[in-house]
Amino acid sequence: MARNLTFHIFRHNPADPASTPHMDTFVLNETAAMTLFIALNRIREEHDPGLQFDFCCRAGMCGACAMVINGRPGLACHTQTRDLPESITLLPLPFFKLVGDLSVDTGVWFRDMYQRVESWIHTTRAFDPSKREARMANATAEAIYELDRCIECGCCIAACGTARMREDFLGAAALNRVARFRLDPRDERKDADYFHLIGDDTGIFGCMGLLACEDVCPKHLPLQDQLAALRRRMAGTALKHRLPFFRNVRKARPAKA
Amino acid sequence: MPNPPQYALQAPTTTGPAWADWLQLCTGAALLLFMWAHMLLVASVLLGPATMNALAGLLEATGLVQLGGPCIGLLFLVHCVLTARRIPFRQLEQRAIWEHARLLKHRDTWLWLAQVASALVVLVLGVAHMWTVLADLPITAAKSAARVQRWPWTLLYLVLLPMVELHVAIGFYRLGVKWGFISSRRRPLGVKAEKLLLVVCLAIGLLTLLRFLTLSVE
Repeated sequence: MARNLTFHIFRHNPADPASTPHMDTFVLNETAAMTLFIALNRIREEHDPGLQFDFCCRAGMCGACAMVINGRPGLACHTQTRDLPESITLLPLPFFKLVGDLSVDTGVWFRDMYQRVESWIHTTRAFDPSKREARMANATAEAIYELDRCIECGCCIAACGTARMREDFLGAAALNRVARFRLDPRDERKDADYFHLIGDDTGIFGCMGLLACEDVCPKHLPLQDQLAALRRRMAGTALKHRLPFFRNVRKARPAKA
Repeated sequence: MPNPPQYALQAPTTTGPAWADWLQLCTGAALLLFMWAHMLLVASVLLGPATMNALAGLLEATGLVQLGGPCIGLLFLVHCVLTARRIPFRQLEQRAIWEHARLLKHRDTWLWLAQVASALVVLVLGVAHMWTVLADLPITAAKSAARVQRWPWTLLYLVLLPMVELHVAIGFYRLGVKWGFISSRRRPLGVKAEKLLLVVCLAIGLLTLLRFLTLSVE
């Protein structure tokens, strides 16, 4: 028998001075294979056309519809209502700037993060458009692709206890980016270069290993293993810094710029 | 094609945080090993007071207690200082992590909060225990039993024991997942090991306490 679902949805428009944060309740009858994305669209069509939430691909590929679903960050389009109880509470992702209701601005944060971890291939080789692209081993390409599957939904950041306590923490999405470029043979950066980007308490050494990032990631990225590998690498780099041959970690960097 | 321009980076200027993490790992692992060794040594009373006395006598005759005791105390304090970097002391942070944990209902997040709470208890009660034991050498089963049987100490050990075992078991798991000794694939195994450690260590500890409570202090 079809259930009647009760949605408790966070409402607030920060652009409107008269708006105050509150929860609105909507009741919908459940349909077959109903996702939260479908439910939200129905609420907007049948109950409140002013409800704000983001979506784009409807297939778990763009990350736009990330929100807190009964306490856990997740994708609305990926979440079937049959997997949820009758009472469903939807909140916007914390940590990110609120646009309105369930819509947040993850773009500014991700843009800033990409700049902070220098999320592009660093190479001294001049690009020749007439030449064929350099080949890489299939296994390497697949390993890079595995980490490149991040859709920048922001769920890992919203679920991170460290990020909730300190806003300058880079978070799993950023550290995953670094792990991705470490694998890329076209990137000439060494661990000493990465150390400058993530070798402090705003980076890998700020991570407390709570692993909510790994547990909520809708793309099931191997975040735990990446974070552990980066921690070992960066800790090793600091250790080498004390050895005469690697005396100055910081001096290694300008060559790549 | 030139690289994109460099942005103003908030780059780390020191290797301090890396060393702090190293030290946190080393002190944590050393304290883990010490706690297990301590548990087994004290539990030797279950084999008879004479066994515990003999072991304690051996450790004292070799100077391990006199030297090791203060060293462990120092290790304990260094570990406290290093891990305190993570503890939310400000009210704003406390509210943020509490609300976060309550909403997320995530096991490992709650475990971290349990680790912090147990650490604070162990810091206070552990120092009291270490001070009283090291200030009253030699260690004997009768003296330990007399202390455990005195009222405020009975309560202290009944609180200290579960807090230590909880902290040690979570610490073992956290250390493993943070540094990769426990991989993502083996995480369920790590959780099982953590639970098993907690139950076994707690059982041994409670049996030892019970033995001390019933041991003649004459």
